[in-house]
Amino acid sequence: MSTHEHTPILQVNGLEVYYGAFQAVRNVSFEVKPGEIFGLLGPNGAGKTSTLSAIEGLIRFRSGHITVAGHDVRQKPLYARANMGVQLQSTSFQAELTITEIIRLYAGIYGVNMTAEQILAVLAEIQLADAAGKRYGQLSGGQQQRVSLVIATIHDPSLVLLDEPTTGLDPQSRRQLWERIEAIREKGHGVLLTTHSMEEAESVCDRIAIIDHGTIVAIDTPAELIQRHRHDPEVISASRKGRITLEDVFIGLTGRTIRS
Amino acid sequence: MKNTIPATAAVYTSLLRADFTTLWRNRRAAILVFLVPVVILISWKGIVDKMGGAFALSMCITIGLTAIGLMGYTISIARDRDKGIFQRLRVAPVPSWTIMASRITVQIAMITALTLLVFIVGANVDKVVLTPAGYIFGLLMALAGGAVYLGLGQMIVGLIKNPEAVNATTRLVYFAFIMIGMFGELGVLGESLKQIVIWSPFGTVKRIVSDSLYPGTWSQHTSMALLVTIGYAIVFTVLGIKWFRWNTK
Repeated sequence: MSTHEHTPILQVNGLEVYYGAFQAVRNVSFEVKPGEIFGLLGPNGAGKTSTLSAIEGLIRFRSGHITVAGHDVRQKPLYARANMGVQLQSTSFQAELTITEIIRLYAGIYGVNMTAEQILAVLAEIQLADAAGKRYGQLSGGQQQRVSLVIATIHDPSLVLLDEPTTGLDPQSRRQLWERIEAIREKGHGVLLTTHSMEEAESVCDRIAIIDHGTIVAIDTPAELIQRHRHDPEVISASRKGRITLEDVFIGLTGRTIRS
Repeated sequence: MKNTIPATAAVYTSLLRADFTTLWRNRRAAILVFLVPVVILISWKGIVDKMGGAFALSMCITIGLTAIGLMGYTISIARDRDKGIFQRLRVAPVPSWTIMASRITVQIAMITALTLLVFIVGANVDKVVLTPAGYIFGLLMALAGGAVYLGLGQMIVGLIKNPEAVNATTRLVYFAFIMIGMFGELGVLGESLKQIVIWSPFGTVKRIVSDSLYPGTWSQHTSMALLVTIGYAIVFTVLGIKWFRWNTK
């Protein structure tokens, strides 16, 4: 594990999010440190995306504090956003623009000067140099995800937020994506991600928070979570492979009921 | 490393370049917006003398403004919102107003291009030649009138989230404005409807554009129409901004 003990890049304290009378996030607190991949896991509707949206400044939260690289997201939203890179769950870029034009657009938005050669080099890194003139709408799902991740990290942010980044990807694309995410960690940046893949979370995340009904029910390293809950009756009954996995712990803590 | 926020001018320039590129790639749709007023102007060639140059040009400009505001701007905003394009922009260090300012700048360019095109076709096909003051005033009033339809479009995307419903609604409103506006003003649909049309967004915009083309004809009625036009633009825009949501969920 490459977690460095420094000031957290992301601090979330006592976060509460409401949609009308419905409380989606209840007193959520956690932090992401430099060089750490932090996984936020939970069933559908548990509050993962709401938490991420609050950090990204896309929704107003009722109470709590969030800081990104020391910037309060409510008081200095632009500074906070300048220090985070985001890959949304359903990211879409202008379908009429080529990927070169999209990268140039976001480089400009993030204040990064990039020449045509630099853009081509970035595309070559993700094996899309041949598609430089292709429109975003013409790319496959995996190619779109690669472009999306490049744009999320184009300004070398301290914090990268990834909302279910591997959904719909084939194994090759998924493997390449995880390699890129691990490379971000190696550079000392923090990564906060949500995923439904327990295997991926177990193998890649340094720490994990399991959220359910808007509340964090467990937070620790994957190994510690498994160790701590391996004797829980709900976890044992969830086990299918003869050994306790993170998925068993997840099912044990959040229940077997299918969420909407 | 702590990143600083980029200059607003640089952000705006980047957005503007992307929005103009998008417009260029969708140029067929833009050409269709221009085509309707130009076709009307050409087909009216034989009767322009009877109806007057100001009537013909102002009618065509008003029809074009309605198409730009209701169909071009509104449909593109509804579509991009539904695709999540705005949400992606909003998680970047971009002041939200710059996103809309860039979109509106593109529409202002469209309004300017439409007005100039109508002037050129009017001069070359219908032999309607104005004074320099007429051209300048005409352009300014077209921009003022364009604000009404952009505001109305903003209100529609504020009220309706589904892009297909927005599409259908704007086409319906466009058709109603053109048909009721054109025939209503001529008195074909009755005197009371004629009065409603005269003070409707269609009628006031047409009036200020028409009288600005021949500045000598500007009257107290035109000044009142200008005030009403500004009022429409403010009310529609304020309500449109108030009701607008950046995502469809």
